[in-house]
Amino acid sequence: MSFRLECKKIRRTGLTAAFIAGSIIAAALPVINTAARPDTFTSMAGSPAAVLTDANLQLISMLNLLLVTAGACILYHIEYADNGLQKMQSLPVRESGLFTGKCGILLPFVLVMFLFEAASLCFCGWHWLDAGKEELIEMLQTLGFTLLLTLPAAIIALVISSACRNMWTTLGIGVLCIFTATMLPTDNFIFSLFPYVLPFQILPGMETTRVIHYCIAAVCETGIACAAEFIYLKVRRLFA
Amino acid sequence: MNIIQTRNLTKSYNDFTAVSNLNLHVPKGSVYGFVGPNGAGKSTTMKMFLGLTRPSSGAFVIDKMSYPHNRVKILREIGSFIEAPAFYGNLTGEENLDIIRRILKLPKSTVDDALELVDLTPYKKRLARKYSLGMKQRLGLAGALLGRPPILILDEPTNGLDPVGIHEIRTLIRSLPDKFDCTVFVSSHLLSEIELMADHIGVLNHGHLLFEGTLEELKEKAAFEGYPDDNLEDMFLALIEEDNIRRGGAK
Amino acid sequence: MNIFTLALVEFKKIKRSKILLILIAATVILWLPNILNADLNFDMNDIGISPENSFFIQGFMGMTWFIYPAVMVVTTVILVQTERTNHGILKMLALPVSTPLLCFAKFIVLAVTAAAFILFMTAGYYIAAAAAGALNDYSFILAPGYVLPFAGKLYLASLPMLTVFWLIAVCISTPIFSVGVGLVSIVSSVLINNTEVWFLYPMGYPFYLIMSEYGEVAENIGKSSLDLIPWIPVAALISLICLLISCLYFGRAERR
Repeated sequence: MSFRLECKKIRRTGLTAAFIAGSIIAAALPVINTAARPDTFTSMAGSPAAVLTDANLQLISMLNLLLVTAGACILYHIEYADNGLQKMQSLPVRESGLFTGKCGILLPFVLVMFLFEAASLCFCGWHWLDAGKEELIEMLQTLGFTLLLTLPAAIIALVISSACRNMWTTLGIGVLCIFTATMLPTDNFIFSLFPYVLPFQILPGMETTRVIHYCIAAVCETGIACAAEFIYLKVRRLFA
Repeated sequence: MNIIQTRNLTKSYNDFTAVSNLNLHVPKGSVYGFVGPNGAGKSTTMKMFLGLTRPSSGAFVIDKMSYPHNRVKILREIGSFIEAPAFYGNLTGEENLDIIRRILKLPKSTVDDALELVDLTPYKKRLARKYSLGMKQRLGLAGALLGRPPILILDEPTNGLDPVGIHEIRTLIRSLPDKFDCTVFVSSHLLSEIELMADHIGVLNHGHLLFEGTLEELKEKAAFEGYPDDNLEDMFLALIEEDNIRRGGAK
Repeated sequence: MNIFTLALVEFKKIKRSKILLILIAATVILWLPNILNADLNFDMNDIGISPENSFFIQGFMGMTWFIYPAVMVVTTVILVQTERTNHGILKMLALPVSTPLLCFAKFIVLAVTAAAFILFMTAGYYIAAAAAGALNDYSFILAPGYVLPFAGKLYLASLPMLTVFWLIAVCISTPIFSVGVGLVSIVSSVLINNTEVWFLYPMGYPFYLIMSEYGEVAENIGKSSLDLIPWIPVAALISLICLLISCLYFGRAERR
């Protein structure tokens, strides 16, 4: 019910167009990068997945995070801009349902974004690096891993967005978080658990235990973010 | 002498005509009431006078100057207030007016003068975004009155004001031609309100001018055509109704 | 009305807009991790760069790669939104002032804000270098005769980028999209800087400049050539076109 309502609400907001355009740009990056200098990549050691993710994932993840932040901004901006949220709060629906509905919108968009990127990386691997079936599967696993690791940032972006009436505050916090993520040292495990750093982790070459740790961390962070939102909504209602 | 005159002024948006072949004559020194239901094309006409919308066809002359050739010169003569109040929310009422004052190159005292005219002096240091709707409306009016321009274009200036505020602003508008030697072009969707302010009236419906003349002429016309003339609001409604029926029942 | 008076009016409009706060916050966020991680600069033997040069380059690299363009994107949108939020632009268009001049005055505000940001960054650098020096018992401070002209060059190199951001903010009226397009344009600058036609992409200029400086001061980093021709004419042309279009387009949406 709330998902259908949310689908209706995003009509004419440009959210779909933004995600499709963003996904196309993110997907175009590896193609342009590889097409511009194929020799550099073919001469590199490592599997096609390792070579391609090493060369492109940083930029792709950055774009993904920017898109997710902007998407979360729009999703709650439509509530706050003309006091739609007030109307929602005065209707017999749970406010947490609204958040779930927003997640239900944002996450499929994120999935579509990754599908575009996966298609592009697989194309690069197949066309320039002679990747076979197994290597393409490795590529998909790599992106699946990144998708899982992007979830905490997506949910946190929604939580921030739901808490800030002013869209600029949401966007500002998001951009600063992304920037901080690029500034943190990459070799420190604790720092790399910061939700906005997680998507920059590269699967090929990573120890299995570390992979498991990251997966657990991503699931926990997502759970904690959702729990934080539900608690926040209860507290907000209490003090309203 | 007419200070504002239009010739077949028309504004169309794709398949919709907001203003159609309008021929207005606003005498100098008058309060001209521009009345019509919501969506009649009043704001669009006023926006065209201010260069906020380009006419699709036709022309207008303001104080012997034509648009778009003399846009800046025309604007120098006009104080305006269009639709929703336009202001900068991060600035105080006084700072908002100061910005307009600097652009118009007016002396500093004009800001206090305008604030005083609309009774906003006690709130001049408050941020404009924290103003009530009525105060925002007064701020918009103060911006129009700044420097006492020879022509005032006011679009529904009493919207959002309480009864006391409506009375004050109405009295102010009524007194402006005598006090400042200016012409006021004011719109409203209520004829009952316009008849308390204006001495000349234009009635607009669906972009067409149904009547133009003095209040007395309107009453005479009503009596002649058999409209109820004991109540001007009824007469106005009957005029609009008649026009709507003529247009194929469109309300 | 001359452009200076108009620019002064524009400065008045951004009172309480928190732009200054954003600039300061960005400076702190940039330099704080650099102070805390200053010891990493001693470990640069394989690159062949001195710790003080490394400290300077790393900090300015972080700035030009993302935070400076991002802050400028946000500033441009704030400037445009100041007009749109409460229809202030309608009042401006109904005043006797030339719209292109108004647009140019706003761009001057943007350019001055950018100058202020570079100034904050440079001041931040000296404070950070002093703090990092005290923490590590080493002098990270470079001579102002080197740092200040470089900051000046960086500012000049970023002007074409500012005109592009300004064009985006003026032409795309939905704020979230103009920010989105601006930010995405920053991300792709790294890719384009790696190509031969880097000079066609103004968003990459500041980062290219710092990378070329990196090549100068580090022995083992490949030098990227910084040919003024065709860079300067192309940059000037792009800036002029962007400014012209934005000045002509400004207020058009409101004049429908």
